[in-house]
Amino acid sequence: MSRHKNWLLAAVCLLLVTAGCSSENGELGKEGKEPVIDLIVKMDHGDYWNTVRMGAEVAAKEYNVNFKFSAPENENDIAGQISQMEQAIKEKPDAIILSATDYMALAQVTDRASYAGIPVISMDSEVASTKVKSYIGANNYEAGQKAAERLIKLTGPSAQIGIVNFVQGARNADQREEGFTDYAARFPGVKIVDTVYCGSDEALAYRLTLEMLKRFPSLDGIVAMNAEASIGVGRAVNESGAAAHLQLITFDNPPEMLELLQEKKVQAMVVQNAFSNGYLAVVTALKAARGESVEERYDTGIKVIDLENMLWPENQKLLFPFVK
Amino acid sequence: MRDGLKWLLTLPRRLHVKQIQVIVTLTIMFVTVFSVLIASLMLYNKFSSSAEENTYLNIGQIIEQVSSNLELYVGGIQDIFEILEKKIDESGLLGDEQTQNQLSTILETRADLVSAALFKPDGSLVLNVPAVALRPNTKLQEQSWFVSAQKNPGTLQFSPPHIQNLFKWQYRWVVSLSKQIVYNDHGQKKPGVLVLDVNFRTIDELSHRISLGKKGYIYIIDPQGNIVYHPQQQLIYAGLKYENLEPVLNYAYGSYEDESTGEKRIITIKTVNPTGWRVVGVSYADEIMTTKKDLNTFIFRFLIIAIALVLLISVVVSYKIAQPIRKLERSVKRIESGDFRALVPVSGPYEVEQLFKRFNLMLRRIRELMDQIIHEQEAKRKSELDALQAQINPHFLYNTLNAMTRLAEMGRSDEVVTTITSLSKFFRISLSQGNNIIPLRDELEHVRHYLVIQKIRFKNKFEFEIEASEEALGCSCLKLILQPLAENAVYHGIEVLAETGHIRISAQVAGDQLIITLQDNGIGMTEEVLKGILSGEKRVKGSGSGVGVHNVHERIRLYYGPDYGLSYESELEEGTAVTITLPAVKLEETMEG
Repeated sequence: MSRHKNWLLAAVCLLLVTAGCSSENGELGKEGKEPVIDLIVKMDHGDYWNTVRMGAEVAAKEYNVNFKFSAPENENDIAGQISQMEQAIKEKPDAIILSATDYMALAQVTDRASYAGIPVISMDSEVASTKVKSYIGANNYEAGQKAAERLIKLTGPSAQIGIVNFVQGARNADQREEGFTDYAARFPGVKIVDTVYCGSDEALAYRLTLEMLKRFPSLDGIVAMNAEASIGVGRAVNESGAAAHLQLITFDNPPEMLELLQEKKVQAMVVQNAFSNGYLAVVTALKAARGESVEERYDTGIKVIDLENMLWPENQKLLFPFVK
Repeated sequence: MRDGLKWLLTLPRRLHVKQIQVIVTLTIMFVTVFSVLIASLMLYNKFSSSAEENTYLNIGQIIEQVSSNLELYVGGIQDIFEILEKKIDESGLLGDEQTQNQLSTILETRADLVSAALFKPDGSLVLNVPAVALRPNTKLQEQSWFVSAQKNPGTLQFSPPHIQNLFKWQYRWVVSLSKQIVYNDHGQKKPGVLVLDVNFRTIDELSHRISLGKKGYIYIIDPQGNIVYHPQQQLIYAGLKYENLEPVLNYAYGSYEDESTGEKRIITIKTVNPTGWRVVGVSYADEIMTTKKDLNTFIFRFLIIAIALVLLISVVVSYKIAQPIRKLERSVKRIESGDFRALVPVSGPYEVEQLFKRFNLMLRRIRELMDQIIHEQEAKRKSELDALQAQINPHFLYNTLNAMTRLAEMGRSDEVVTTITSLSKFFRISLSQGNNIIPLRDELEHVRHYLVIQKIRFKNKFEFEIEASEEALGCSCLKLILQPLAENAVYHGIEVLAETGHIRISAQVAGDQLIITLQDNGIGMTEEVLKGILSGEKRVKGSGSGVGVHNVHERIRLYYGPDYGLSYESELEEGTAVTITLPAVKLEETMEG
């Protein structure tokens, strides 16, 4: 009697094992759940940010990520960005990509996100938190240096130069300025006569530039440190007729500026790869969310674009927004 | 490890592999699993190869579709270019309003036509539609469409997608169709380059919607390897993605496998005429293999479930088959240990049921035979004993006649008469019409005559008395049971006695038993003799009739059962008492029965 009991027992065991197998397979399906990644940038408009967003979208589609884009209305709205971070922490995404409007002010909330178990990737500009898993973006200090190198090459080693920066305290703005002034300091003849901050407001940049041109009529060169500053400066220089004698180096590549570049009213543009920034940030955030190790920094590079190289095939794609 | 191996090796032995149940289970399982395995393997091969073929076919068809769409599209643009060329050729006066309007109308028919322009070989503008001012620093003469048109006069050139930077309007992505033509400048035939810019969007849309699997995509390159369309062109320019173009440029048509990106990808190529562009389909092998993987897991699960089911079924079936047989085995074991009453309950499959019926039949027959043997044996024994009984007579007769002769010689005629009378009575009762059962009265009479004769023979060496209750006298009794006992008492108890012997026979009914006792005052028996006397082991030597006390005991038990028989009490020098226990049965009943 006991023998066939054993056999029945064996059969039941086998059935249980089978059931176990199938339930295991069922659990595998759960991996198909899309990871959620929050992308919080400095501003909800502008070509640069649109391109960043496009890059992020491509990566999200490729890696099956559900990504949420949010940004304050302008780059000065530090409090707005902090509250967006707090909101994100509450919603507990798998990772946050942050382009901090202020290096120091966003540090605390970044730490909090990390304590909540959400990995944070900084993109485009850094934030003063050691909890950040990775930085993706251009080397802004180097970008500043390259801008100075080109400008001084154009103006010659003795010149008066004005700086139109965007937000004081924003890490990338500070680093660009620092790179620029450090390079300029090598030339005793080069004097930075004025530095203004437009808060990424084109109109303000326009007004500040006109004022600067009035105050320093013998100004040899201006550098504009981001897209909005560039548009304002470009318009002021073009309209005031100062373009004839003024060397202008701008940052980023809004279409208005490309037109001016072709008309030789802007001499060069320091361009970062916004698309790569968005794309790589999402890829890196996904890796961090999965707990994989990520590189501490990912330099997406910068290019100095001038009339000579603006239509090179590899630059066309970088400079001109693709068909939408 | 070794223990595990040992465990595994001894498993068959411990599971009793030769059991029917195990044999049936293993056989069903082996056959089923084997056939399921073979079938699945064949199906798997068939399915997976056809799935793969289908995928390749699908990819090929998609690429074919895209390239034919592109061909159609390009053909349409070519037609428009020819119309433009004809119009310019026909118009004698370039730049006049009528020509401009005509050209504008042509361009306006389609949204994807951005602009058209005619340039002199030196780069100066002859006419453009729409009439928008030229940008400075266009580097016209360096642009690829301008260069290639002049290099290949008379044939239409297709540029890779590029930014249209000629006119102050917008920077737009276009593909330029260009050709060196001859135009009529106020009656003079002059060479010029005609360019038609086509919005890139259409090509993008044509290609964008195509997807090969989840990750797969298509891209388009021109004969020089410039990327015309790529869904991730940004990433390629940024160096984040890489497309292995070299082998693509070597093929015009067909497909191959590429592992340059680390992943196995299937590249399918089709060339689009007349542009010379190649539509390249990239599909990921692992996605094609998903069908295979799905099939794999399905078959794996199917196999496991099938094996589990088969195991369960085979265990149940074999149990059903083996169970009745095992029941039979247990019954046989009971029979082995002597229990012939153990019938097998009839149940189970037909064959087994039949087997059980026959087995039970056989068992019954064996039981009958055994009973029969017992009866026969008893009968045989009875007849043997009867025969022995019969032997008494000649021996006793001889002795008696001998004694009578001596008495006659001595002239003791009284005693001779007594002897003869007793002898005749003795034999009459011995005969008793052949009946084995006689009244106790007769039996006592029989033994009395015997003792009378013996008393004469032994010259009054002993005295005897017989007493019985009236009730006892009416009972039936097995014939000739007292005589051997009396003989025993005379020969062994009294003959060697110095003084006069005394034999006392009494009979009475106690309850449903008839108790007959025979007591003597003879020499008695040793304990040893006493023990052997009933079992018949110890034959008393030199005795008269040779019919042992044992035989009397046997006969009583044969006739009446084991509850009845003899019992001895004896003491040396004191005498022996033998008690016969019989059932108290009235003679009439017996006679009737």
